[in-house]
Amino acid sequence: MKSISPLENVLKKGLYGDHEDKNESNLTKVKEIKNLLIVQIVQYKNSSSQIKDVSIDGLSLPHEALKVTANSDSRILWCGPKNWLLVSNKKDLLQTVQKSFTENDFAVTDLSHSRAIIELEGENSKEILKKGCPYNFNELRKNNCVNSVFNGITITIDMTNDNPINLRLFALRSFGESLFHSITDACLEEGYKVY
Amino acid sequence: MLYIKCPYCGMRSQNEFAYGGDATVKRPELNKEVSDKEWDTFVYLRKSPRGKHLELWHHVSGCRQWFKAQRDTVTHEIFKTAEIKEDI
Repeated sequence: MKSISPLENVLKKGLYGDHEDKNESNLTKVKEIKNLLIVQIVQYKNSSSQIKDVSIDGLSLPHEALKVTANSDSRILWCGPKNWLLVSNKKDLLQTVQKSFTENDFAVTDLSHSRAIIELEGENSKEILKKGCPYNFNELRKNNCVNSVFNGITITIDMTNDNPINLRLFALRSFGESLFHSITDACLEEGYKVY
Repeated sequence: MLYIKCPYCGMRSQNEFAYGGDATVKRPELNKEVSDKEWDTFVYLRKSPRGKHLELWHHVSGCRQWFKAQRDTVTHEIFKTAEIKEDI
């Protein structure tokens, strides 16, 4: 079965906005990330299960607000108290997760097909997000994540790198096209490359 | 723009929150006989104070948690926020 990308109808490769007479490598890069495993893990409120010993792909669940634990393949985002989002290249990790978290204590939900993911890369990435999002991006560091809104669309932002700045934006699949239009609109001023 | 300190995520813009009403209202006990007047009071009757007001807020575009906030209804100053199980 062929999977259909959430941004298939809007994402066209090329250079856009004020890109003329500018070095292409300095432009903000916009791309869609596909084929990731996305799993929401929620611990029930009445659960007394300890999560300290739990490890997924060698990663522990972050306790601290806005923190991300990460390795080269997988990232676990803190999304709220007792609420995490696992994002991984390893598709087979789902079975491991389901085995690690007992049904009585955790809700494990596969969200892989229900999210659109847009990646922004470049020095202007934070400035672009500041145009539509009220969060103070000066506080956002590598391996931090934040849930917020961008022009009214609820998004999760994951900062995967700081040199160059690399941000992944997760939105509900149905909001993917709107978010792409909003983001690229904000990119026009400095020029951007879709690849 | 109003800034609200979520007890879980920290200082955030009001855009991310939804107002949830008066936090002092208590639901009648479960399985207890409740008169129409008591139920009417619980559902509809609200104070509209000028000054400090204890409120419920929902961080709907953030951690999705409910919490309490003490806010001045005149100046909109927020004095304190706390988790739902805590007292202000």
